Amino acid sequence: MEIRMSGVTKTFGEDITALEDVFLSVPKGDFVYLVGPTGSGKTTLLRILNRELLPSRGQVLVGEYNLRKLRRTKVCQYRRAIGMVFQDYRLLEDRTALENVAFVLEAVGAPRKEALDRAGEVLDCVGMWRRRFLYPRELSGGEQQRVSIARAIANDPLLLLCDEPTGNLDPQTAGEIMQVLLSINASGTTLIMATHNRYLVDAYRQRVVELKMGRIVRDQERGRYDFDEEL
Amino acid sequence: MRSFSFAIRDTVRLIRRSPGISGLTFLTVLVVFFFVGCSFLLALNTRHVISVVEGELVVQAYLQPKADLEGLAKKVEKMPHVRGVRPISPEQALELLKARLGNQSAAVTLLGENPLPASLEVRVDKASSVSGIARELVSMPEVEDVVYAGKVAEKLARLSRFAEIFSLFLLVFAGLAGALVLYNTIRVAIYSRKQEIEVMLLVGAMPGFVALPFVLLGLFWGLTGTLAASAVLGFLYKSFVNSVQNTLPFIQLVDSPQLYLKLALILIGGGVSLSWLCSWIAVERHISEAMKPS
Repeated sequence: MEIRMSGVTKTFGEDITALEDVFLSVPKGDFVYLVGPTGSGKTTLLRILNRELLPSRGQVLVGEYNLRKLRRTKVCQYRRAIGMVFQDYRLLEDRTALENVAFVLEAVGAPRKEALDRAGEVLDCVGMWRRRFLYPRELSGGEQQRVSIARAIANDPLLLLCDEPTGNLDPQTAGEIMQVLLSINASGTTLIMATHNRYLVDAYRQRVVELKMGRIVRDQERGRYDFDEEL
Repeated sequence: MRSFSFAIRDTVRLIRRSPGISGLTFLTVLVVFFFVGCSFLLALNTRHVISVVEGELVVQAYLQPKADLEGLAKKVEKMPHVRGVRPISPEQALELLKARLGNQSAAVTLLGENPLPASLEVRVDKASSVSGIARELVSMPEVEDVVYAGKVAEKLARLSRFAEIFSLFLLVFAGLAGALVLYNTIRVAIYSRKQEIEVMLLVGAMPGFVALPFVLLGLFWGLTGTLAASAVLGFLYKSFVNSVQNTLPFIQLVDSPQLYLKLALILIGGGVSLSWLCSWIAVERHISEAMKPS
């Protein structure tokens, strides 16, 4: 899914400008790291792409969708085409890993059996097949994040938005999650990942978009976490 | 159909997951609709007492000497608001007078020829119709004079109107109070599943799909609560009626199998409709709020 943001500004009230005049183009199947200090606008950008926020100015086109002009039914349709991974996982505590994934499939109309089969498949993809009957409280942070990723990719999204998916994880688990995300991207899914994880960005080199004070200050192919003049 | 089976499973999950909230809501609905039912019975009995008194109101029309008693009785019977007409011939009037005089009935022989005129005893359906009917009767050429308790009829008519407004107000108030309690209880249930709703909306579930389990939950609470309220109220009212009949037999309360059926139908029908409406509004408002991009 291709993304085109042009002149996007997002303000909260009169004083806070979270994004300012952002121009960003992401071709289909690309992998983009969003880096920058806390408060630089990474999450705001992802929430605009997820259509939780509307830009105050500018235009956002994702595939065939103009996010400023989506009606309520179209929002549902759009969200079925994308997936979102959160830093705090947002799993439902009273459902097993399998049910957490199956529930989103049922929510978009899949029959129960089909949803459970597909949930099993995607949990297998993220290495959680053996832990599928456990509840979130019985899983480690890394395992919960894997389930959260499985939930996000269960619908075969064309775009995957990840907000600090490794934020609460140790380096080894973060590396494993990264492998999962890379394999999803390799299958053609456009992936945008906001992160503070310097190690991952440097180890798995992809396009880096750096934000500061709501503005894009760097857009570098196969970049590092910090600006590298040699590239 | 798939959405519906998912919603049913989800509703059962909601009920089982929070037995405390479910139990409390059931009790709330029961209590609220118990009071709605009490208001209904109070209104019904007030109307009943007034209509019994109204039924006793009679307009007595005295006829001209050569008037056709039976013919006029048939004519008056067809008038609107007339519940019944009893023609009384001069002979019957004399017999009635004798009966009323009891031991002194022999005194009527002093009258010589029967001086009593034929008359019509007209019963009306409600107090407010009395003066109108009296006016119509007096305007008839066959009628010589009309006698009725004008002031009593007026007071009764005013009381009847007041009772109607009071009953309506009581029912509307009880219904609104019930709706408010239901609405807020369902909002609490929705709030306890805020995250789940958010996740569902984020993955693209249609608003109707998200709302359905809550609407079913509202219907479930409405149905079970009002069923229990009908049973409790029916039992208590029956006991009350029996006890009143034993101790104060002159007080006639409304009591028939149809009444209990009507009471149950009103409570269950009203409760289910109200709970459906309240849960739909509560969940729809929440979803609209959650889906509105800021």
